[in-house]
Amino acid sequence: MSTTLALHIRSLKFQYPGTADKQWTVNILDFKLAPAEQTLLTGGSGSGKSTLLQLVAGLLDIQQGSIEVAGVSLASLSRAKRDLHRGRTTGMIFQTFNLLHGFSACENVMAALMFSSIPPSQHRATALQLLAQLGIDKPDSDPDRLSVGQQQRVAVARAIACKPALILADEPTASLDPENAGGAMDLIQQTCRSIGAALLCVSHDPAMASRFERRISLRDLNAQATQEAAR
Amino acid sequence: MSNSMTDWTIILRSLRARLFSTITTVVTVAVAVALMLVLLMMRDSGRRAFERGSGNMHLLVSADASPLVSILNGIFYANPPRRPIAWSKYQEIAAKFPLDFAVPTQLGDSYQGNPVLATTPEFFTKFQPVPKEPWKLVSGKFFATEWQVVLGARAAATTGLKLGDQIALTHGAGGSRDTGASKDAQPGPAPGHVHSEFKYTVVGILEPTGSAHDRALFTNLNSTWIIHAFDRRERAEHAADSSKDHDHADHDHDHDHDHDHKAHHEPPMTLADITDEDRKVTGLYLRLITREGSDSPANLPQIFDMLRRDPTITVAQPNQEITRLFSIVGNIDQILVGMAGVVMASSGIAIMLALYNSMEQRRRQIAVLRVLGASQTRIFGLVLTESALVGVLGAILGLVISLLGVRIVTAIMRDRLGLVIEPLLSPEVAMLVVVATIALGVLAGFIPALMAYRTPVAKNLKPLG
Repeated sequence: MSTTLALHIRSLKFQYPGTADKQWTVNILDFKLAPAEQTLLTGGSGSGKSTLLQLVAGLLDIQQGSIEVAGVSLASLSRAKRDLHRGRTTGMIFQTFNLLHGFSACENVMAALMFSSIPPSQHRATALQLLAQLGIDKPDSDPDRLSVGQQQRVAVARAIACKPALILADEPTASLDPENAGGAMDLIQQTCRSIGAALLCVSHDPAMASRFERRISLRDLNAQATQEAAR
Repeated sequence: MSNSMTDWTIILRSLRARLFSTITTVVTVAVAVALMLVLLMMRDSGRRAFERGSGNMHLLVSADASPLVSILNGIFYANPPRRPIAWSKYQEIAAKFPLDFAVPTQLGDSYQGNPVLATTPEFFTKFQPVPKEPWKLVSGKFFATEWQVVLGARAAATTGLKLGDQIALTHGAGGSRDTGASKDAQPGPAPGHVHSEFKYTVVGILEPTGSAHDRALFTNLNSTWIIHAFDRRERAEHAADSSKDHDHADHDHDHDHDHDHKAHHEPPMTLADITDEDRKVTGLYLRLITREGSDSPANLPQIFDMLRRDPTITVAQPNQEITRLFSIVGNIDQILVGMAGVVMASSGIAIMLALYNSMEQRRRQIAVLRVLGASQTRIFGLVLTESALVGVLGAILGLVISLLGVRIVTAIMRDRLGLVIEPLLSPEVAMLVVVATIALGVLAGFIPALMAYRTPVAKNLKPLG
């Protein structure tokens, strides 16, 4: 595991159909994320970060170049295989927690385990253990009845349930006040470290910068590729 | 609490989350399925019921208004025929034509609402209620002499009578299960009265034939005639009484059937008291002599024609009348089945609408499941399965409703029309309807499933507003 990169992007070019020729929304020459490495990706709206996250998650088809997640090239997989690969190797955390309504906290975590290789008989035990570790004492209650902080924990528990190699966090603190935001980031970063998952956090919150040793602006990433091509 | 989440958990939770919509949709489907099944059951067994009963007779002679009425009355016991045929007419017909049998029948009496057919022993030995299926007894024997009664299968079941039981018959259909115990005849149309002075003994119980005959009781014509003679003499005496004593207001009724004073007439009448006037019948079951193995004698049209020219009688060919009746009913049932099909189709639309409306709220759930690892195909399958499940539940509920519903419909048919329909749901038809309903559910789910399949993931994970 330690030899395999969590994420490796090479010569990735992506443009939405209908846009002018060579107007790449994403254009990345080379980007690596080592196991357990935590990187902050910054960029304003329209910088293509949402597109990049969808590409890495395998929700968009790759047009040019390659993305390897946990050592597997996404382009080599069928759509359905790619979905399963995402479920098993990539956890996602969103600005809204996106918990499933009508399902208990435990069931939300178990929903992620549906797509894992863990035998179904152990799903509940696994989910309960994970929730306990994250400090959820009422795992069978509806998430709507939990505090915002607890909902965040359920969302994190769900993201890491399959022991992913990579966690994608999309503006995880954008809807939280600064105090809660700090707590949420502590939780996410600590949890990723504890399971050895790499973290790619996309945010334009300046307060985030100090939390990450490696910070990359998406504009720089795209510019690199453009310069390389021009040379 | 189960150990893991499955697709079924998600499907059932989704159905439960919009419980009201689920229930109304399932009920809509169930009603459509039930309607379809009841119609199909009635159609098949209705035709069967019509085809049974006339058996091996070729012609039915009566004094009813039309051939169809005479079939409905004489074979399906719809109403007691109003006009009788004279005994001399029977003798004339029996002597004139080359007949295999000419079985005289008389309707008019009843027992607890069941019609009583008075006839001769030939009814059991020669006439077959269904061709090539002669009468069979569950127990006892056919009647041989007066005051014996044989019960049709359904009559035995509804009255609960056993061999050896003694019963008194009601003269007139009796309208209801009126036992006629009241001393004074009730004013109103066709009051029945019980001939309690004449007791019949149950001597036999028949096997079911699947025809209207099953709900009848069968007795010897002679018994009926004796009672008729008894009534006639009573009326004569009343008339004599009234003419002698005008003050005797009690006996002013022109048709008083108060038999309290029967003591005058003991002992009851015997065969010797019967005159030809008493020997009235309401129907003749005729069968022409046929060659071995043939059931349509060449001289049937000719004899039919000759009988038809007699203005005092009505002659009917049961097969023809039933075919004619079914050419009318047949069209109606095709229209009904077509309408039931339309109702089923609209119940499919109801499934689709309910799912379609739910999709808006489920976009986020679908997007989350996709992120967690579900493929588009799996999401498609989830919605399609949910839709099919509504079809399955509707089909099951519809099957139950139809089995209850058909009982009600057959009870009405039996009570109002005198048609005994044993509704039979052939497993093939039931399976076909159930499979069609599930297919309908799948079809109805197709568009919502496609919407689910195409649900964009990233867009639906963004904060609301």
